[in-house]
Amino acid sequence: MEEYIQNFSQHVIAALSDLPKEEIAKALDILQATYERDGRIYVFGNGGSLALATHWVSDFNKTVFSHHLDKHSRRFQAIRLPTTEEELTAWANDVGFDMVFAGPLHNYIQDSDTVIAISSSGNSPNVIKAVELARRYKIPVIGLSGFDGGGLDPLADAKIRIPSEKGQYELVESVHGVILHLMTKYFKDYFDYLAEQA
Amino acid sequence: MLIVRAPMRISFVGGGTDLPDFYRRSPGLVLSTAIDKYVYVAINRPPLVREVSARYSIGEMVDHPSMLKNDRIREALLDLGIHSNIEVATFTDVFVNAGLGSSSSFSVALMKGLYMSQGRRMDKREAAEAACRLEIDLVREPIGKQDQYASAFGGFNIYRFNPDESVDVIPLRLDYKRRLHFERHILVFFTGITRLASSVLAEQKAGTAKNFATLREMADSVLEFRDCLLRGEFEQLGRMLHATWMKKRTLASNVSNTALDAMYNAGMEHGAWGGKVLGAGGGGCILFIAPLEQHAAIREALRGVAHAHGLGRFNEVPVRFVQSGVEVLVNGDSTHRVIPS
Repeated sequence: MEEYIQNFSQHVIAALSDLPKEEIAKALDILQATYERDGRIYVFGNGGSLALATHWVSDFNKTVFSHHLDKHSRRFQAIRLPTTEEELTAWANDVGFDMVFAGPLHNYIQDSDTVIAISSSGNSPNVIKAVELARRYKIPVIGLSGFDGGGLDPLADAKIRIPSEKGQYELVESVHGVILHLMTKYFKDYFDYLAEQA
Repeated sequence: MLIVRAPMRISFVGGGTDLPDFYRRSPGLVLSTAIDKYVYVAINRPPLVREVSARYSIGEMVDHPSMLKNDRIREALLDLGIHSNIEVATFTDVFVNAGLGSSSSFSVALMKGLYMSQGRRMDKREAAEAACRLEIDLVREPIGKQDQYASAFGGFNIYRFNPDESVDVIPLRLDYKRRLHFERHILVFFTGITRLASSVLAEQKAGTAKNFATLREMADSVLEFRDCLLRGEFEQLGRMLHATWMKKRTLASNVSNTALDAMYNAGMEHGAWGGKVLGAGGGGCILFIAPLEQHAAIREALRGVAHAHGLGRFNEVPVRFVQSGVEVLVNGDSTHRVIPS
């Protein structure tokens, strides 16, 4: 049993010690720019990736500012898509499952916005559909993928890919979770620093 | 109604190597950052007013864009085939001709806005290229390409101008602490002297062959400046700016003048590590990198020099670095219409 656990953790450590730093830095700069123009950040994915998206939205909208809730004139506007289960099922049932993200994104999208797409395979048709819409609007796309990056990686501006064998969802999703937390922590430190320096 | 804004920029090293006479012989390199001073362009297409209207430091209303005095708006409208029912107005945070690249910020915002008014979206690179084409090919300004790119892209970047006219944008990834520390060490003053960049650049352009070696040294210093910046060696950055400014003064007779020299020297005498006159030179804004404890003395000294030279519009310009480039603030297209099938 211990050997199995050790093996798994070695895999995760190997992936963590080789993070795509330049692409993560690019993503942080994209988020900084989106904040400056008061744009919105839409985040989405399927299954575990949707759970990561929802968790991140909560952290980014609230935790980033928790130490100084009343000290900043503006907060982030991160939005998980779709925002309700009703929209998810309505789009899936009435139009098609490939439209569950692109459909709701079209309701909100504006020129100042940014998209974070999460897909381990990079090939989820519904994720790709939404990313294609973002590209038509020429807004930045942060792509979190794994395996060989699939169709998502070439479409993204910030190409955060965790290289791995096909099917290693647990590895890719775990590392995605770390990177999303890194984004939160970076801006938490930044806004804490601004408040403390003021 | 559409409202687009584009940031101005502070260029640290490599200015002048973005002129074709240089980069066609040897790639040009410029390191700059966008700042939180903006040029705004508002565009309206009034259905019941056929005239073409341009509102900037003056107001113009004419029957056809070819009659406009404002060369950038005139050429842009003619190029895009917009001949009637249009109002273009602009607003700016800092005086034009202040060395912060505002003329090109205007062109970037104008092109992005006019495209958008025709239902077409531009990314950063397309906006930079369109502004370069407008200013250099259509208006025939003797200027380079660094300002259009700096304004369209935003953030800290190195721009490489290649002999085949392509431009590489190489971002500097500074974390928030490094960025804020650097920001705190910088002082920018509007000298109260304005000049047309094209008048300084015309002479400099004429002398590019003669100055080629100096410009090459400036391009070479860009990578060293980047490395010092990434390591947070602000004193060294100041010393590099000082050395570069001493060279740049020799590129054209009107890059500096008595009042500018007096201001620069006052800053240096009161403890600045280094500095430069921003933009093409001849006037506009002056920048210093200085230890925090010297800032008050430098402010006081420069105010004194400005007063002695009767420069009533002298003022400090507080700047913050910004990551976002050209951006659409208001898109009037969001009013409802039925999309034809």
